[in-house]
Amino acid sequence: MSVLPFPSFLDDVKEKGLKRAVFELVDESVERLTAGMNIQDVREALRGEAPSRKPNPRLQPHADGFWLHMRPSYFHSDMTGLYPTFRLGWLSTYFVFFETITGILLMVWYTPSPEVAYHDMINMLTNVPLGQLMRDLHRLGAEAMVLIVALHMVRTWVTGSYKKPRQFTWFTGLILLVITGFLSFTGYLLPWDQLALWAVTIGASMIEATPPPVVGENLNLLIRGGPEIGANGLLRFYLLHVLALPALLFVFTGVHYYKVIVHGHSLPPQKENIGEDTAKRVPLDRRVYFIPDVLTSELLWVGVTTLILVVLCIWFYDAPLEHHADPQVTPLGTTAPWYFLWIQGALKLGDKVFWGLIFPGALLGVMAVWPYIDVTPSRRYAHRRFALTLILLLISFVTILSYMGLPEFGVVTAPDTSIIHELTYPPAHNHMGKLLPVPYDQLVPGMYTTREFSDEATSLSDFNQEIETLMAPTADGRMQSIEANLLDELQNQDYLVVTNLNFVPVPGDAPALRSVMEEFAAMIKKHDKELVNAWGGIIITQNQADLKRVDVIVSWDTVEIDNGRPVLDADGSPVLVRDANGNVVRSQNIQHIFIHRDGGYFSN
Amino acid sequence: MLQGMIFPKIENRILVGVLSFVTIMVLLGWAAINEGGRMAAFEQTFHARSIEQGAALFTSNCSTCHGSDGLGGAKGPALNNPQLFGYDFFPEVTKEIGALRTEKTDLQNEASRPDTTPERLAEIDTRLAEIDARIEELDAPRRQQLQAAIDRGYDPQRPSRLQNVGWAGTTESFVLTTLIHGRPVSNNYWSGGGMVAWSQTAGGPLRMDQLEDLTAYIMNWQRAWTLEDLFAVKQFAIEPVDPTPLRAQIEQLQASGGVIPEPVGTNVRDIVAQLAEVTGDPARGDALYHGTDGARSFNGTALGCSTCHLPEGVAVGPQTGGTYTRVLNERLNDPALASYTPEQYLVESIVLPNNYIVPGFQGLMIANFGQNLSIQDLADLLAYLETQQ
Repeated sequence: MSVLPFPSFLDDVKEKGLKRAVFELVDESVERLTAGMNIQDVREALRGEAPSRKPNPRLQPHADGFWLHMRPSYFHSDMTGLYPTFRLGWLSTYFVFFETITGILLMVWYTPSPEVAYHDMINMLTNVPLGQLMRDLHRLGAEAMVLIVALHMVRTWVTGSYKKPRQFTWFTGLILLVITGFLSFTGYLLPWDQLALWAVTIGASMIEATPPPVVGENLNLLIRGGPEIGANGLLRFYLLHVLALPALLFVFTGVHYYKVIVHGHSLPPQKENIGEDTAKRVPLDRRVYFIPDVLTSELLWVGVTTLILVVLCIWFYDAPLEHHADPQVTPLGTTAPWYFLWIQGALKLGDKVFWGLIFPGALLGVMAVWPYIDVTPSRRYAHRRFALTLILLLISFVTILSYMGLPEFGVVTAPDTSIIHELTYPPAHNHMGKLLPVPYDQLVPGMYTTREFSDEATSLSDFNQEIETLMAPTADGRMQSIEANLLDELQNQDYLVVTNLNFVPVPGDAPALRSVMEEFAAMIKKHDKELVNAWGGIIITQNQADLKRVDVIVSWDTVEIDNGRPVLDADGSPVLVRDANGNVVRSQNIQHIFIHRDGGYFSN
Repeated sequence: MLQGMIFPKIENRILVGVLSFVTIMVLLGWAAINEGGRMAAFEQTFHARSIEQGAALFTSNCSTCHGSDGLGGAKGPALNNPQLFGYDFFPEVTKEIGALRTEKTDLQNEASRPDTTPERLAEIDTRLAEIDARIEELDAPRRQQLQAAIDRGYDPQRPSRLQNVGWAGTTESFVLTTLIHGRPVSNNYWSGGGMVAWSQTAGGPLRMDQLEDLTAYIMNWQRAWTLEDLFAVKQFAIEPVDPTPLRAQIEQLQASGGVIPEPVGTNVRDIVAQLAEVTGDPARGDALYHGTDGARSFNGTALGCSTCHLPEGVAVGPQTGGTYTRVLNERLNDPALASYTPEQYLVESIVLPNNYIVPGFQGLMIANFGQNLSIQDLADLLAYLETQQ
């Protein structure tokens, strides 16, 4: 006999038998957990059958449960297809949680300090099981989120869903877009590698331009924690990334979604009369209930999206990690993150204040108030030619500006520097210098020249003879042979152990090296206006066991350069620079890199 | 088409969704199983790239003093050096001689005690003679094999740099600590000052990760050492000189009323005038030049000329062989040196080495020989160089 005022489980067992008592206990637990659906109800829902109980138990979780009380209990059947939402809003929401979870896992292994941040990254990659995968997922998820949120905005514009009464929903959405961008941007700095430091330095340089100078300077100090990004800046970016911005994101996500539910999902434009908003009046026969149809659909999207991300991260994508951040070394061709490239491109158009601040600011401002300007009632595509043209123009403009943001556009780099960079640059953005992936064993120690692959019919022995005997004035006015000038720099500035230059043919068993030399020759030929009478050389030496040193040489007749372009005479030939005696001045550029057998730039 | 659900039937949605989740779990499990290999591979790659970074740093920051190939130079000892890694080419000999020397010290201590009987003293003397003979017997062949390195300051009985400085940690920690803090040394044995601190923590220019890269590069010189590696070393670490014997010499000299030599300074004309009054000894000059038999200049400096001026071939400085002929036939033909005598040229090259740099070389020679040579030292060196026809 129970001491409780109601029958205990043991009483139930005595009364109904064990099997039945256990079943009822489980059934009751399920009903409590789902806030209204028992096992039978769940089974019916998952089988796609109609509910057998009245009132409909599938509505109960929406009324009594916490999680589903914020979801509508049914959708209009026109809203459950791919069109018009493309599920972008749901995916944006999902990515908020996806990024939060992967981000928290990464936080466990990360310290925001310049002394240890990079070590923590390496530790995560070498010592934490699934650490690299988590980092890849977080990074790829972040980039996907920026893209999805932007597409969500474009979709809302295209279907005219920002129109009355959803103006404020649009406004909060725009804030979410900006927060997403800043979240991604602040996270960019945290690995504390060269990519992070310089992308963020470029991105943050706009802040300094804010007029008047006293504001710009102080804003810059405030966000960077000093004139340059250092320990304070890293800590501030970290706190923005894990505290301030997520807090704002959650608040505005709440407001945004609340507004979505209050006004209902706007139907496809052609499905309702002009000026009407019937989202909240769903006819009985058009209702698609959340449980089970929308719920299974949403979980399906989440599952497939996550699967795609996991597959990409395991086999196709690795979050970039370059060398340790170094404020002293600016890598050639530094860019902002891709979603800020358009601002970098705009900056090339002219004034920093206008293109870097006023223009993006005005763009966001116009977008924010657009629903209050565009008050025409019709959402039909045919009636919104201006708005649709505008968004297409905007997309084209931003795309073109983004292209202009790339280093290929409008940045004048001396051809010798860019050729050497092209051959030697360390892995960045998943690309690397052409020499790096040459298999280690094909880097046969020796001296090779592009003359072997040029059209000129000189033999290598003639070439060796030529550089040894041909005297030319150097850039600093000494008269000596090309070989002596090169040796001067190699021995005294680059500390290469070398006594003379003797170029030999590329060995037959080094096809990868040969193809690099051929590309080297082609690049030099391509710049024959700036690099007159030029040749390239590669000197490979064994520096240590399993470590080779590669010196890359470009030697050419100097031409007059004006504003980054060669000065041409009346015949269209470049004007050569001569010394007082009329001899053409010979220039040279030499850089070297080291390649270790286990450097992992190649697979063999 | 776009207006329907992607999978209109609920069972298909459930199927694809469940399959996706299961696949994710399987993939995560599969990735987890392979993590050990992946992490090891990444660590290897990272270490390799650390060595590459270190190599670049070494070339631009360290090779001026330690040599492009790490074999040592005028201002720094070799790091690409079996001695740094404590490699002993004759471990058995070292061990046996070490034991004999311990025994010798013990016996000498015993002999100096007042209660030792004359019979025991005689025994000890016999045993000491045996020990000396045995040490010589063991050491002679070793010295013969290692002579080229011994000429440059290598001590076969003390093959480990770490033991010589009493370092209790690993070679790696020794290298890293030295990089961080640098090393203050006396001008008497490492002219040109000590090594600066390289770490930003200690006021230097490099970050900790860069020092770790450098350490990785230096440690990568560790290999199966051969005698060729030892002979390639251009400069071994220099140990501080024990001042006791020098002090004794000076005291003797003072007691006998002798004159304590003074450094020659850098006034070439004065020096040449003084040289007329002394006679050089080519044999002592040879010893000073090569540092053989512990030969040192008047103030106890090991000159170490042969570190940079090898007998044959180009090293940090011009080769020793044929010096005098080259001075006569090549150098003095340079218009810049028109009025020079060979003697004057050599004196200037030693006390003011940067006045004229032989084409093809850098001005790496230390400019403090004026302070470390007496007129007799200089005369001996010139007499030796005159034999290098």
